[in-house]
Amino acid sequence: MLTIQDFMFYLLASGALMSGACVILLQNPIYSALSLAVAMVSIAGIFYLLGAFFIAAVQLIVYAGAVMVLFTMVLMLFDLKHEMKTFSKGVISGALKIACTGLILGLIMGAVMLAGGTVLTPQLPDAARSMEATRGLSHVLFTDYLFAFEAIGALLLIIAVGAVTLSRISGGTHAD
Amino acid sequence: MGKDWFEVTINLVKMVAVFLMMVQAVPVLVWVERRGSAFIQNRLGPNRVGPLGLMQLLADAVKFLFKEEFLPQSGVKLLYYGAPVMALIPGVLAFAAIPLSTPIEVSAFTMNLPILTSLNGSYGPYTFLFQGYEFGIGIVFVLGVSSLGAYSLLMAGWGSSNKYSLLGALRASAQMISYELALGLSLVGILLVYGTFNFSEMIAIQQGPLRFMFFGQEHSWGFLPNWGIFYQPLGALLFFAATFAESNRLPFDLPEAEGELVAGYHTEYGGFKMLMFYIGEYGHMMVASALLATFYLGGYAFPVVGWTTEAVSSFWVAKLGGTTLPSVITALCFFICLLVKIGFFLWVFVWVRWTLPRFRYDQLMDLGWKTMLPWALLNVVVTAIWLVISHS
Repeated sequence: MLTIQDFMFYLLASGALMSGACVILLQNPIYSALSLAVAMVSIAGIFYLLGAFFIAAVQLIVYAGAVMVLFTMVLMLFDLKHEMKTFSKGVISGALKIACTGLILGLIMGAVMLAGGTVLTPQLPDAARSMEATRGLSHVLFTDYLFAFEAIGALLLIIAVGAVTLSRISGGTHAD
Repeated sequence: MGKDWFEVTINLVKMVAVFLMMVQAVPVLVWVERRGSAFIQNRLGPNRVGPLGLMQLLADAVKFLFKEEFLPQSGVKLLYYGAPVMALIPGVLAFAAIPLSTPIEVSAFTMNLPILTSLNGSYGPYTFLFQGYEFGIGIVFVLGVSSLGAYSLLMAGWGSSNKYSLLGALRASAQMISYELALGLSLVGILLVYGTFNFSEMIAIQQGPLRFMFFGQEHSWGFLPNWGIFYQPLGALLFFAATFAESNRLPFDLPEAEGELVAGYHTEYGGFKMLMFYIGEYGHMMVASALLATFYLGGYAFPVVGWTTEAVSSFWVAKLGGTTLPSVITALCFFICLLVKIGFFLWVFVWVRWTLPRFRYDQLMDLGWKTMLPWALLNVVVTAIWLVISHS
């Protein structure tokens, strides 16, 4: 018997897979970016089904809501006919794509194998328990993993400063 | 969704009702906007069709439905037609997550129908929440789905293959991303005070008289309700300002600045498709008003200190007896109270639109990044320090 959770999982998983395939198969970069956004929303739904409510919402806010919007916005600003030709045809770039995909696939498979099948533990969504899960997450984040958390924050700050510096040197968009 | 078919049906009906509520409020809001702007500008506004011009809405809806359907010559069909539909989704999803009134208790009953006898039987007591669907993470979910609103503008701007539309869409998404930061940070203070993401728990905390901890001692001010605005006045102001930018309304309406961009991202849209963008915009306003009421004005609670949910509920139980009817009446009382609060904020939205001039682009970015973001950060730090001191 297919429960509503199973149905939602298959719906969201197939949505994520199909839009993921669209990202690499479609020629137009705008469509690729929009498909990636759909994939992110589907993955947020899968996180929700797994009981990771906070991660699901943050996935929506950060990746689907901010990062992909910026990507799409920047893509829309450019005339992409030239880029479309260079990046979608050619033996070297094709081989590179397949190699990258294989690497990531191997990484994910390795992680699943090493975890010994405990990666996907089914949990039913429960409104009352979600706050506890979020509290637990923040507690772990600010005690056990505080150094990693702060290090990532510093890394992002360095990236932001670097991006500003690069755009300011001669030849950038804001050159003096 | 529920234990049996009765609960499932009611829950599905609730989802549809929330959507219809949002869509049906739009014509009234358009009327308020037109009459309100006329009142502010010393004009009369639409007053010919029906009493007070109220039938103008019906005439407008029919006009929109019968307008000619067209696609721009080099427009992208999928994105062009998808954008107005996408404009509705975030507002509806966000509005479904906000509790609108107290839960309705339905006592156990037996169904005895002459037809459809397979449905007969006894049905246990139910509790129906007065909202589309309860998400435990409440506000984080609302922020998440609201942030998807930028896609509809981008799709409209790029899909209509018009330079004005594209410029409007780029401005809109830049503005939404910039102000989302201030919006999220202005809420962190109030979340620290409440210690929860869940809307129902927030409203429960705001019941009763104003009471706060100060250096480990509890003080209580009996004449004021325990509302968030007394704890976070700066946060409320910042959140209120950021919601204007999020719903792309004056003074933040650069994406559709008429003088520069014709109509911005919806230049190429006519008829009902344009109306759907309007429904999306008014939906954003309704969500923002409901959030302001929930965070800072006690949600559906009455502004009178003694009239808590328990007091009102027990008053109706004593008057009417039973379980189902008093709980329905209680829920309606609180629902009307929330509607008054939402209506007040919606009127403020209209009022501000027709009072303030539009910002320049550099003023907009200065306000977002150099004024509101630092003040929101300061609010978070001060609130955190205050909480540590007062609870020590």
